[in-house]
Amino acid sequence: MSKVKNWQLGREMDYPYDESRPKRQWAIVFDLNKCIACQTCTLACKTTWTSGKGQEYMLWNNVETKPYGGFPLAWDLRILEKLGRQEWDKKGIYAGKTIFEAAEPNERVLHYAPVDEDWMYPNVGEDDCANNQEAEGYTRSLPHDRWFFYLPRTCAHCTYPACLAACPRKAIYKREEDGIVLIDQSRCKGYGECVRACPYKKSMYNPHTRTSEKCVGCYPAVEQGIQPQCVVNCIGKIRVMGFINPPWKAREDNPVDYLVHKKGLALPYYPQLGLEPNIYYIPPIHAPTDYLRQMFGPAVEGTVERYRALQKDPVAQGLMVLMGSTDRIMHRFSVDKGTARGFDEAGAELVNVPVTEPIVERAAFDTALNSVRNNTP
Amino acid sequence: MHTFYPCVVAVLLSQPAALLPTELNVVAVRGSVADANPEASYWKSAQPLVVTMTAQPMTTPRPATTTTPNVTVQGVHDGTWLALRLTWTDPEPSYAGKLGEFSDAVAVQFPIKAGPPPPIWMGAKESPVHIYHWRAQYQRDRLEGKPGMRDLYPHMTVDMYPMEYADPGHLGQFAESDRDRFSPGRVAGNPQSYSKTGVDEIYAEGFSTSSVQEGHGSVGDGCHQAKTWTVVLVRRMNAEGGSVITPGQKAWMGVAVWQGGQGEVGSRKCVTMAWQALNVAPAVAP
Repeated sequence: MSKVKNWQLGREMDYPYDESRPKRQWAIVFDLNKCIACQTCTLACKTTWTSGKGQEYMLWNNVETKPYGGFPLAWDLRILEKLGRQEWDKKGIYAGKTIFEAAEPNERVLHYAPVDEDWMYPNVGEDDCANNQEAEGYTRSLPHDRWFFYLPRTCAHCTYPACLAACPRKAIYKREEDGIVLIDQSRCKGYGECVRACPYKKSMYNPHTRTSEKCVGCYPAVEQGIQPQCVVNCIGKIRVMGFINPPWKAREDNPVDYLVHKKGLALPYYPQLGLEPNIYYIPPIHAPTDYLRQMFGPAVEGTVERYRALQKDPVAQGLMVLMGSTDRIMHRFSVDKGTARGFDEAGAELVNVPVTEPIVERAAFDTALNSVRNNTP
Repeated sequence: MHTFYPCVVAVLLSQPAALLPTELNVVAVRGSVADANPEASYWKSAQPLVVTMTAQPMTTPRPATTTTPNVTVQGVHDGTWLALRLTWTDPEPSYAGKLGEFSDAVAVQFPIKAGPPPPIWMGAKESPVHIYHWRAQYQRDRLEGKPGMRDLYPHMTVDMYPMEYADPGHLGQFAESDRDRFSPGRVAGNPQSYSKTGVDEIYAEGFSTSSVQEGHGSVGDGCHQAKTWTVVLVRRMNAEGGSVITPGQKAWMGVAVWQGGQGEVGSRKCVTMAWQALNVAPAVAP
């Protein structure tokens, strides 16, 4: 085991290989307050990548309903149960064990092995609400006491991938140019070690090719400066893909750095597992704090507060409206005089959008037509 | 063809330790041994050797317990081909298929370079080994064809697969190779993703380095009966570019066994902890 730096834990941790950060790191930020689980991302991914034999139930991108949904079944509960209760200290440093540190002596990572049946219910728990609506009616408090939210998930192209660590054939590699983690389809022998090891369960077994497969981060698009299919097809414009720097190299004008490091609006999920995952979530502000804390760590309360105050921050607001406004990868953004602009790697402008659209208020009664106005077309 | 050949493990283990052989005498026989026949009469002339196995201890992941404590080995050769008959106890046959199903398997390895054998752990850098890997799954491929998705999941509902239409209309029929573009392992040319004939030939320079080769025509045949696998592996003695076994000279061999039903796959296996010496008899005139 090597000692590597995991900034999401605020400490060093054990990992089977040395720290080797890519030149830049693929990352997606999701605003969970906006996701409506339309599954357009899921289908965009499915039709692009996994329509072949052996991929029938393979969803590299999925959207599940929390708290009861999970694909594969209860993936989060099962790895958390296996890890047992762990603590963050008062300074926000993780005091517990990661899945690498908690590995049994014969194993590389702490894991559980999903079985076929676990992958048979991609949309289990959809829209199932926590707590009993019948007894006391609908939600009347904030955070909501009856609640659910949607969690869209792709591979997190982790800085410390458990799949890569667990593969005894070294068939999994992390690309130096963009940090995308790939399974070498010519070397994989389908041992399924990655399927067991990935705590997010984003390595999947294909019984037709007898190899394991996973989200490829849409690398052919990324290589051309285009965001992945799940991002560009998101009708809710809840996602933005870019490149994240570690906090000590963060750039304020980098969209992902801004949301994660500068503004502290987006957090990794289950960082305590130790993989330094690179999908980041703006937490759903109306879900109970306890639930959010176990999923996003102790920083989540501040994140929710900052999101609530967004309307007083034109720069953050500008970046939020840039999300989903261009198919290209934004390397830099700016907000000036009510206009938000995104730029490509060479500095050319990709898009500009008004931070707020003009609002027109119409009287409820149209005197010229002597008619009541309503919103029904 | 797949009838159980009585194994002699119990008889051997009942003998005093001093009488147990420590080297495998590979007997030279007249006629060909290339047909991988577990019931051929020449096996009667080959003295069995019981080889001790241990749960692979060197690299993770590894099995917690030794599932295969020993393997009984016999060896014969005809000057061109060397045949090994390996027998071990396994309560049930296992064939890979769906997620989490793994195949029973056996592998034998030989040093590629002459001189002292390399580290037993699949060789080392610049000290490669030549591995012959038989899997029950590969044998099933050969006998019954590679199972398709309909074989694995008979009740699965699928509207259609790309380029495989019940009514192709003006598109016409597509070839399997056209459809391979939707199967990453196949389009990448991974041997794992195609139907196998029985035995993989593999070169390795230590753990994590194994790579499947074109091979030298090795064959294998196994049968499971009375909770025992009996597998015959036949390899070319002069495997050009690989390991070479010369009649009349000593050779070295290592053995690995996987019990798929116990979740053994990859580095989760039982292995011999030291190289096993083979006394290869001089060839006899045909």
